[in-house]
Amino acid sequence: MINLISYLLISLVLFFVGVTVMVARKNIVAILLGIELVLNAAALNFVAYSKFVTNNLDGHIFSLFIIVVAAAEAAVGLAIVIRFFQIKETVHIDEATSLRN
Amino acid sequence: MEYTIGSIAPIFLAPVLAFVINAFIGNKLPRKGDWLATLSIFVSFIYSAKIFGDFVFGKFATDYFVHKTFTWFDLNYGDFVFKVDMGVYIDNMAAIMLLMVSGVATLIHLFSTWYMDHDERHGRFFTFLPLFTSAMLGLVLSDNLLSLFIFWEIMGFCSYSLIGIYYEKEKAGDASLKAFMTTRVGDVFLLLGMVAIWMVIGSVGYVDIYAAIAEGKFVGQTVLGISLASFAGFCIFMGGMGKSAQFPLHVWLPDAMMGPTPGSALIHAATMVAAGVYLALRMYPLMVIGDLTSFIAIIGAITAFGAATIALVQSDIKAVLAFSTISQLGYMMIGVGVGSYNAAFMHLITHAVFKACLFLSAGSVIHSIHEQEMPKMGGLRKKLPYTFFAMMCCTLAIAGIPFFSGFVSKDRILGDALYFGFMAGQSPLMAIVPILGFAGAGLTAFYMFRMMFLTFFDKPRDHHIYDHAHDEHLDARSNVPLLILTVFTLGFWYCGTLTGQSFGKVFGEKTEWFKILVEAPKVENFVNHSREEFSTVDTRAGVELEKAHYHHQTGYAGPNPDEHKIHTAHTIGAILSIIIAFSGVFIAFLMYIKKSVKPLSGKFPEFTKVLQAKYHFDELYVGIIIQKGLLGLNRFLAWFDMGVYDRFAVDGWAAVNRTLFRASKWFDNVIVDAIGVDGAGVAVNLFNLVLRIVQSGRIQFYFVMLVVVLASYIWTINI
Repeated sequence: MINLISYLLISLVLFFVGVTVMVARKNIVAILLGIELVLNAAALNFVAYSKFVTNNLDGHIFSLFIIVVAAAEAAVGLAIVIRFFQIKETVHIDEATSLRN
Repeated sequence: MEYTIGSIAPIFLAPVLAFVINAFIGNKLPRKGDWLATLSIFVSFIYSAKIFGDFVFGKFATDYFVHKTFTWFDLNYGDFVFKVDMGVYIDNMAAIMLLMVSGVATLIHLFSTWYMDHDERHGRFFTFLPLFTSAMLGLVLSDNLLSLFIFWEIMGFCSYSLIGIYYEKEKAGDASLKAFMTTRVGDVFLLLGMVAIWMVIGSVGYVDIYAAIAEGKFVGQTVLGISLASFAGFCIFMGGMGKSAQFPLHVWLPDAMMGPTPGSALIHAATMVAAGVYLALRMYPLMVIGDLTSFIAIIGAITAFGAATIALVQSDIKAVLAFSTISQLGYMMIGVGVGSYNAAFMHLITHAVFKACLFLSAGSVIHSIHEQEMPKMGGLRKKLPYTFFAMMCCTLAIAGIPFFSGFVSKDRILGDALYFGFMAGQSPLMAIVPILGFAGAGLTAFYMFRMMFLTFFDKPRDHHIYDHAHDEHLDARSNVPLLILTVFTLGFWYCGTLTGQSFGKVFGEKTEWFKILVEAPKVENFVNHSREEFSTVDTRAGVELEKAHYHHQTGYAGPNPDEHKIHTAHTIGAILSIIIAFSGVFIAFLMYIKKSVKPLSGKFPEFTKVLQAKYHFDELYVGIIIQKGLLGLNRFLAWFDMGVYDRFAVDGWAAVNRTLFRASKWFDNVIVDAIGVDGAGVAVNLFNLVLRIVQSGRIQFYFVMLVVVLASYIWTINI
């Protein structure tokens, strides 16, 4: 039987997979992908609570909003990555040290 | 005449203007500005003459006066009263004085343009001369002791400058310093007296002082155990003693002849020495309530007689005149002391006229023969006829020969002195005043004629000098001033009668105008006196004034119980004066013309030596008071300054400062720098170490931190 806990478990798995990717991978593109996973986990939570707890459309609207933000974030993030690659010839996260010291 | 600022101020301001112009651009003017100085004094004279004419011929009332004030500064704050008014106070006495000062000064200036011609100090002389005169005119116009004191000091400075005008001569420099310092002794007392008066009534205006006396504010006030009126009066009289060269502060006046002779004429006649007597007359009511009149009379008598004896043996023509000035000032002080107010003032005026003329004549003699020693003169009357005529008239006046001014004024003083000494019920000691007065009068006649005989009569004693003397021709600048002054040595100008007694009237109704107009201030008239603003126009009608009443019998205004006695005293005094004066002249004639009597100096060599040394007053002051007393005090003060003050106070303060400096240096280095400033740096560094670990700049580390923080939130919420 599919209930709220199932959705929350899936979103939990998605969240931790995303966080793990963000922390573990050194590729900036992969990190951006991890962020997308975390955002999706959050959106799934909103929709699940909307369906099982509040029974209205607020959660749906919020998840749509998150998708839009995620799209915009991906666009900006990828643009930064491309400029970063043009300058540093790599997408390794540990090379991003220009602001240090 | 309406009195506004425009009719009074030029009297004082015209000479000041001449002084300023001569001081700054005098050397560029033609004749170095002497015409400007003379002209400015003449302007003063014109304005003074207008005021004099109005007072004497217009108002002719005893109690008429003009008093205009303005506030100099006003520091009143709540109950604290401190307000100083300045102003102009002209009564009959001031009006007469103004005319005398400006008139005599005009003639002296005119004479000086001739005397100082081609002199290297011509410009300097004509810078100080108008300032001197303006200070005297300002002093006469003053309505309070404070402005009087200011002008008093300006005169002191001018006399210093004029006496020491040939400053390269050591004697002139010393004489100028001596004059300045000796009068300063008196000035300090004058200032003290002013402070004493200020303490009681909070003002030093004449009218306030008169009103305070009338209201009895001085009664019961004491300072240092003596009555305050006596103290203040004594201090103020000391100021007058310094300026008017009274014993024992007379030592400066004989040395004052080191300056050019017209300068001496101004100092000895119209300005400097007259100021002291004028002050004593102005403060006469204070002297009376302070019981100082006997003291003043005795000081005057000692001065009059002592200076006359010194004048007997002087050989310098100017020294004789200088001592005769001191002697005559002594007579004025006798006049103040014995209550013969208007005779003292009349003597001030008559003396100013004939003494100015005598000094100018002496200047004329000195200028023509370049010699001051009388033993080298002789027989000059043929060479200098106009000077001889002027000097003879003045000598007759000062010697007290009838028909001349000196007889009138001195005889009245001596008459009152006679009454004061013998008939007024005073202590027998007071008889010393008329005795010394009459003796001095005889000596005056003798030494003045001795001077005349030695200078103008007999055969020339030094032919070299005589032959080189210029023959005198009537000259507008050198002779006319003398002859004008000579006219006013006649007695009837002052007393209105030919002899000074009650017959031979000249002026009709206004005979004895002097005696009617000038009398001691009636203090009760000044109670509730209201001041006039300076800008107002005086419109008091003549009819409101109390016209003076005059008793022909006694010559005194107002009833006097002793009228008969005074009349007797004056009759005896007049006869005695005439006898004494003529006998003095006769003895001089026997000694120096007929040569039938040997001069007495050979018989009393010791006494002559003492007289020639001027009773050793200079030695006394320099040798004993200054050398023994003041130098010792000086050394003690120097020791106190260096040994005590410098050593303990100054050096001790330095040691205290050094210790404080060390302590503060330690505090600064250790507490502030090491702990405060460096400590703050160390603390910041420590935090820095921690923060640097967190702010690594690795983005994935931030993620981990983020997760940890989030996890800690969840953990917290769960608990």
